[in-house]
Amino acid sequence: MSKSITLNHITKIEGHAKLVLGIKHGKVTRCELSAVEGSRYFEGLVRGRRFNEAHEITSRICGICSCAHVIAAISAVEDALGYRPTEQTETLRILLTLGERIRSHATHLYFLALPDYLGYESALAMASKFKPQLHNALNLMKTGNFIIKAIGGRDLHPVSATVGGWLKLPKKDDILQIKKMLIAVKKDAVKTCSLFSKLKYPNFKSSTECFSLVDKNGYAVLSGEFTSEKSSFRKNQYKDFVKEYHQPRSTSNFVVKEDHAYMVGALSRINNNHGKLSKDAGKILRSLKLELPSKNPFHNILAQAIEMVHCIDEAIKICSELKISNEQVERLELKKGNGVGVIEVPRGTLWHEYTINDNGIITNANIITPTAQNLLNIQEDIRAFVPFVIKKGKKSITLDVEKLIRSYDPCFSCSAHFLEVNWA
Amino acid sequence: MDAKKLKLGFYGITGCAGCLLSVIFNEDEILDLVQLVDLKAFPFIKELNVDEDFDYVFMEGLVADKGDLETLQKLRKNCRFLVSLGACASTGCVPAYRQYTLKENYEHLLYKKHAEIQDLQPTPIDSHVKVDYYIPGCPPDKKEIVTFIKNLVMGKQPKPYESPVCVECRRNGNQCLLDLGKPCLGPITAGGCDSVCTNGGLECWGCRGPTKDMNLELMIRILKEKGFDDKFIQDRMRTFVGLKLPMLEQVFNVKINNIKPHN
Repeated sequence: MSKSITLNHITKIEGHAKLVLGIKHGKVTRCELSAVEGSRYFEGLVRGRRFNEAHEITSRICGICSCAHVIAAISAVEDALGYRPTEQTETLRILLTLGERIRSHATHLYFLALPDYLGYESALAMASKFKPQLHNALNLMKTGNFIIKAIGGRDLHPVSATVGGWLKLPKKDDILQIKKMLIAVKKDAVKTCSLFSKLKYPNFKSSTECFSLVDKNGYAVLSGEFTSEKSSFRKNQYKDFVKEYHQPRSTSNFVVKEDHAYMVGALSRINNNHGKLSKDAGKILRSLKLELPSKNPFHNILAQAIEMVHCIDEAIKICSELKISNEQVERLELKKGNGVGVIEVPRGTLWHEYTINDNGIITNANIITPTAQNLLNIQEDIRAFVPFVIKKGKKSITLDVEKLIRSYDPCFSCSAHFLEVNWA
Repeated sequence: MDAKKLKLGFYGITGCAGCLLSVIFNEDEILDLVQLVDLKAFPFIKELNVDEDFDYVFMEGLVADKGDLETLQKLRKNCRFLVSLGACASTGCVPAYRQYTLKENYEHLLYKKHAEIQDLQPTPIDSHVKVDYYIPGCPPDKKEIVTFIKNLVMGKQPKPYESPVCVECRRNGNQCLLDLGKPCLGPITAGGCDSVCTNGGLECWGCRGPTKDMNLELMIRILKEKGFDDKFIQDRMRTFVGLKLPMLEQVFNVKINNIKPHN
């Protein structure tokens, strides 16, 4: 018996991807996952532009994680110029990032992932039976968007963050309002954990290595070393460990760490940082009796739900302690240099690297997105997972495979074409 | 399905998904809004999509490869009206800036690709098919999308906003960023965005496209007086809407060396 499954347009993901699956005599003979989003060459577009233009341009890589690209680009440029941001600047960047993670996870969990598990074609189709749940989702998204708008000036492609500080600082009232909304929405995040803990996840174990930033000072966002259960390295060493390669069938490159696929994202973060979760997020995690580290990629959505509670707690803490002082944007002295920015974003670890000349002009750029890093891992997981469901019909296999792909929350807008062939 | 409801489709070709998210991020309205229409297709958030017989198709993204063009042409045939949603579809946005960058800046990123994902010159959708309406901006104002759809439902013609960004910026009480020496393109850029960038301290980069009656020469003169050089001014003006400013070539009296399409 042989089957061939081609998913030309995988729905309910960000961007465009394609999967070709061949099955013969109960074995997977072909498994090729490709990004088919058109190439946009962002790393080429920033060459020749000024050091403080990169984040405005690379923000356009991705709508749902535009804050992530903005902060990663700014951090990399500041690293190149040898500048360390002030504590207030750093704290506001973290708050912006937490807001984005709440919004992104809520959108992914309810609009892209949940319908598969409840047997609906879309979240909108669930509206009559699951209205309260959809309202939880929309409340969480609204809170995330409010934070991003209040801190970043706009909820998609934020405008106020810049190299050396903030073009506009939030007012005291904004921070109070954010805190109020976060306190009110926390119950929706807790309910999300409860809802997602009751879903039935396929019993599958990936043989992968889980990487995320790990920092002794807390659940890492903008700091720390890139770490798995086996190894750890500093951001400026990333090229020694992480390699990119391309395939003619895909507009996204594939990324390996010392020739092996690895996983980034919420599950990796929880695996590596679970001792640093907020009190309530930690309590929820323990109540789930999840064996950690979990190598089941389907658990990534559960990890996202737990992270939402953590992000809300962290953001409330920041708002409680934050006293905005009227800091001006630092005018940085231009000098040539090379810098790396690395940040934990909704889908995993994001890398930006820029080389700048004496006049502050960008001469080279490299960007590695979470989805590019996960791409090979998703493909290998599909190959390993399909034999468990191979006796099912084509439709059922397809749904299971789509569930697996979606559990990674891939973003093919982001991943499409990020490949460095010749690093000068 | 209710025969009287307008049949809508929301699609994305090459882009960042931000415009489609701008539809969904109307958190207070989205559930009611979809009740007003027959939402036939929205692959970003729907598994079942019927891609024919539309009244309106909202298209995010630009044409960057053959697949984009095929999708666009097919949907154009299958709809009565095509709505260009956001800057990529309307102007080519940042990805189309590649037409103005040196090939040496990105040729190291090129590699051999299969035929169906071969690059095309990055272009807005109106370079290929007729567009009936534009919702500009990177990203578009999310409330503007709701208003647009409600207008369609009520049978009212949506109207483009034509005054420059400065009108809203002044109304919002912002200090003029040009006066502060920032390279703000507000005076030549169509508003309707509630001057969201300048409210947040960032100068306008022109994402909603030039106003019909812009004074480009004056804008350039002001920027030069502020100390910005020709290359900077051209790069800025072309980042979001370069293909809608073909006259820049004459204004700067230079052959656009690097404009040569690479395909």
